[in-house]
Amino acid sequence: MLLNQFLLLAAALFAIGVYGVLARRNGVLVLMSIELILNSVNINLVAFSAVSATVGGEIFALFIIAVAAAEVGVGLAMVLLLYRNRRSIDLTEIDQLRG
Amino acid sequence: MSVLASASPTFPVLPALILTPLFGALLVVLGPRRRPELLKLTAVLATVATGALSLWVLLAFDAGGEGFQFASRHAWIGELGISWLFGVDGISLFLIVLTGILFPIAILATDPGHDSRAYYAWMLVLEGGVMGVFASLDLVMFFLCFEIVLVPMYFLIGRWGHGNRTYAATKFFLYTMAGSALMLVGIVSLAFLHADATGGALTFDLVAIAEAQSIATETARWLFLAFALAFAVKVPIFPLHTWLPDAHTEAPTAGSVILAGVLLKLGTYGFLRFGLYLFPEATHHFAPVFLVLGVVGIVYGAVVATMQKDLKRLVAYSSVAHLGFIILGTFALNTEGIEGGLLQMVNHGISTGALFLLVGMIYERRRTRQIDELGGLQKSAPLLAGVFMVVMLSSIGLPGLNGFVGEFLVLVGTFNAHRWYAVVAAGGVVLAALYLLWAYQRVFHGPAEGDNADMPDLCLREGLVLAPLLALIVVLGVYPKPVIERMEPAVDALVEHIERHVDGFEEPTSRMGIDISPDGPLDGPADSEEGH
Amino acid sequence: MFAQAETVATPEVLWWALVPLLVLAGAAVLLLTVASLVRRLPEWLPAAWTIVAGLAVLVSVVPLWNEVQDDGARSFLAGAVGIDGSTLFVTALLAVAVVATALLSRAYLTREDLPGVELYVLLLLSAAGGVVMASANDLIVLFLGLELLSIAVYVMAALHLRRIQSQEAALKYFVLGAFASAFLLYGIALVYGATGATGLARIAGYLSTTILLEDGMLMAGFGLLLVGLGFKVAAVPFHAWAPDVYQGAPTPVVAWMAAGVKAAGFAALLRVFVLTFGSWSGEWQPAVWGLAILTVLGGSVVAVVQTDVKRMLAYSSIAHAGFLLVGVQAASDRGTAAVLTYLGVYTLLACGSFAVVTVVGGAGDDRHGIDAYRGLGARRPWLAGAFAVLLLGQAGVPFTAGFVAKFGVIAAATEGHSYALAGIAMVSAAVAAFVYLRILVALYMEDRHLEDDDEAGAVEVDPAPWGPRIVITVSVALVLVLGVVPGPLVDLAKDAVPVLVGG
Repeated sequence: MLLNQFLLLAAALFAIGVYGVLARRNGVLVLMSIELILNSVNINLVAFSAVSATVGGEIFALFIIAVAAAEVGVGLAMVLLLYRNRRSIDLTEIDQLRG
Repeated sequence: MSVLASASPTFPVLPALILTPLFGALLVVLGPRRRPELLKLTAVLATVATGALSLWVLLAFDAGGEGFQFASRHAWIGELGISWLFGVDGISLFLIVLTGILFPIAILATDPGHDSRAYYAWMLVLEGGVMGVFASLDLVMFFLCFEIVLVPMYFLIGRWGHGNRTYAATKFFLYTMAGSALMLVGIVSLAFLHADATGGALTFDLVAIAEAQSIATETARWLFLAFALAFAVKVPIFPLHTWLPDAHTEAPTAGSVILAGVLLKLGTYGFLRFGLYLFPEATHHFAPVFLVLGVVGIVYGAVVATMQKDLKRLVAYSSVAHLGFIILGTFALNTEGIEGGLLQMVNHGISTGALFLLVGMIYERRRTRQIDELGGLQKSAPLLAGVFMVVMLSSIGLPGLNGFVGEFLVLVGTFNAHRWYAVVAAGGVVLAALYLLWAYQRVFHGPAEGDNADMPDLCLREGLVLAPLLALIVVLGVYPKPVIERMEPAVDALVEHIERHVDGFEEPTSRMGIDISPDGPLDGPADSEEGH
Repeated sequence: MFAQAETVATPEVLWWALVPLLVLAGAAVLLLTVASLVRRLPEWLPAAWTIVAGLAVLVSVVPLWNEVQDDGARSFLAGAVGIDGSTLFVTALLAVAVVATALLSRAYLTREDLPGVELYVLLLLSAAGGVVMASANDLIVLFLGLELLSIAVYVMAALHLRRIQSQEAALKYFVLGAFASAFLLYGIALVYGATGATGLARIAGYLSTTILLEDGMLMAGFGLLLVGLGFKVAAVPFHAWAPDVYQGAPTPVVAWMAAGVKAAGFAALLRVFVLTFGSWSGEWQPAVWGLAILTVLGGSVVAVVQTDVKRMLAYSSIAHAGFLLVGVQAASDRGTAAVLTYLGVYTLLACGSFAVVTVVGGAGDDRHGIDAYRGLGARRPWLAGAFAVLLLGQAGVPFTAGFVAKFGVIAAATEGHSYALAGIAMVSAAVAAFVYLRILVALYMEDRHLEDDDEAGAVEVDPAPWGPRIVITVSVALVLVLGVVPGPLVDLAKDAVPVLVGG
């Protein structure tokens, strides 16, 4: 079975997603990077599920897709709120809180 | 358990000693905020009642009795084997009485000036906590009480203190809390190791753990250090003493009296009860360190005291020196030394407490404690000067006054065990005479100028407050026998305990064949039981 | 596969065991529906509704607790959901936190003139998520509970519409929280790949019976799970969001984050690590050991240099998380019981402390500098006294519940021979004490300056409305009572040690 290829693909997507969250300044791109990580998880789960011939992973992937949609909905709403207040979605510009 | 064998009376007097002041505190908190005199009355009544209880304990105490008396036990957290376990022996007895006597005096002597309600409540909570430390025979209970006294003292210094009170209070709190942080780990480890070694249930019972001596030597040494750090900060022993001058100087008068008279004893008492008794081998192993630090403390305290310009700071540093004596006696590990140290704890409480009261009275009149700005007070206030003289001589250790007996026994004990330490420490006595007499001379002799000339003398209230302390100074100096003979069985048992559990250790006694044990020349028949 | 079957086999459902969850979720949905149908809802209704729901959960926990104590733990829904002592213990804590937060929110929303139904709906949903986490017997369910809890809290953090800080806090919380969830999921995926199961009981069975020749994937799974949960409970070095979010979010929401979210997070940590990965504790204990040390030390030390009381409390809550990790690290029944005790005590301390902060914060919710507390002892003696008790409790002073909590985790650590960890934790508790002392100094020891020179500089603090007043009074009373009589709480926590039941 081609498990390793799936895992490598997932790991690469995960790494790209983590890089995106850490390095991107644009709020929407950060949200997209998080989506990328979640999808890498989905690939992993489906691959494992196929290898071990259990359905748990596939079910889990379905749940993740649903929850991710909800999460992104909330995230976009927040970015929108930020845009309304600031006319910008640059995350580095929000710096009111520091100690 | 044989050590707790003494039949306990029906009235739980030790819990009452702790609960009476706490009940008083509750009354004060619920009392009328605008009537400070009523609050004071409540506080005085509560402390006097506690003092009376402590005197009752003293009278009912079986002088020849072995082990802990008035023992009582109530489960607290059954699951962890923690219980309210109280008992008194010759070691804690006089510290309890000292606490009982000093608190009403401290409360009567001064008024807080503002926020009376909180002030009296904290004083009473403090007394309850201190009583708890001296009466607890459960390690966790001891720790709880040992820690809780920080809180009232912190507020007393921080809210009713002088000048730099916030800094002093915070320093005091953090030093002591950091010091005792590891003690809790030590206590818990000790209990678990004891339970593992004996296969019994988890218990924090001091007597059970100490008598079993189930901990491996190496481990016991580490545990001892965890305990010793907490006590060394509290005493304080030389390099850890820096919180003391600040706390003493900035505290209100009553706070200083209690801090010097009682709180410092928590450390020295801890060494006796939880150092020597729990870890005899480790104590013996580390004794040289503490002897050196004790002697350093004596000399250092004396030298620094000589250089002080502030009268209160001078008394504070003299405390460092006196506590050096107590440490020296404790770690001499023989009957004379330990008894001397114990007696010195009581004496230091009385005489330094009185000194702080007197300094406070001078400050109230003159609004300064700078030695330079005082002078010739003898003319305007002869009575005050006289009392100051007696108290100071007691602090120096003049024969016939209480300070002498303790210091003498400490020196004898140390001489028998480690000759040269005693020689250096004796030098400290001379230095004490130097700085105290010099300070007395500068403050009370000479020409009186300005405000110094018409400073009022002691008033009746102040006289009444000082009278019991003066009486104790004289009585304990002339006739210490009743005190010593009540301490003796407990101290003997402690020394035997060390001999039993430390291989090759014999109580260092007089090698010259002269019997200088307290049963000897100090009073009548020498029925010493010297075995070697 | 089951196309030929006459009826689809439906898993057994123990409806009675789901009552707390159903009450919370039902109350949320009902409240949302009613609020959108009825034009003008009485102002007090949502809060009262939430409080009633919280109290109903508390009441419903009692018979369930007796049932579980008598007949043992159960699992149902095909082994996906379990009910045991710890589930109910944490559920009760969440219910207490819900009631407290609702009491604070009512006063807060009135003062800030904010529309309010959403806050209560989200609070109830978030609590439902916490209950799901505490009863999760399967990693899927755990994840769903976590997301339900988290997403609701993200929105709650943003609810103060006019404070830009509130939105900033929410966005930070959201990005880092989603990031953490992603890590957690990746960890779950790897654990699933290594063991072939998502059910906790089956994973535990697999781990204790199978010898893995290559455990790299499992180890990576442990690591990522720990990172994900570490983010949720704000363990150093995954804590960076906590101070900002605590400072910016509306104060009642912060109370919920500190009390509720932390309780649910640790419930998950206990279930996953101590319980499921228990047979492999040698592998993850060192990691938790390091995390615990970093967290207690980091939280305490950084708290010292803060000037904003909310940030101080944020860092102190990080330090508390460190103490909780000390209990997790013990990986023993005593450790678990200690963590549960600590969570119980911390719920009280956090609700009470943030109630005081809510009151002092004043209109606009921005007077959180330490200056706002200066001289409070003279002007509001009862409020200041209550805060003092809560701070001393957080410092772990004897005869407050805080000491009992610390004693429990220290005992668990020493029993597991983690002496260094116990020692470092106690020393950093002394460091953290400095933080609480700074606030105490401001409360009590700097009042004279104000009276003398700058009377105008004294910030006027309005009297506490009855909501916060109840929270403060009850928490202070319980902190003191449990400090003197800790037996009941300790016994409850001991009986609440979680168990895994098949699946």
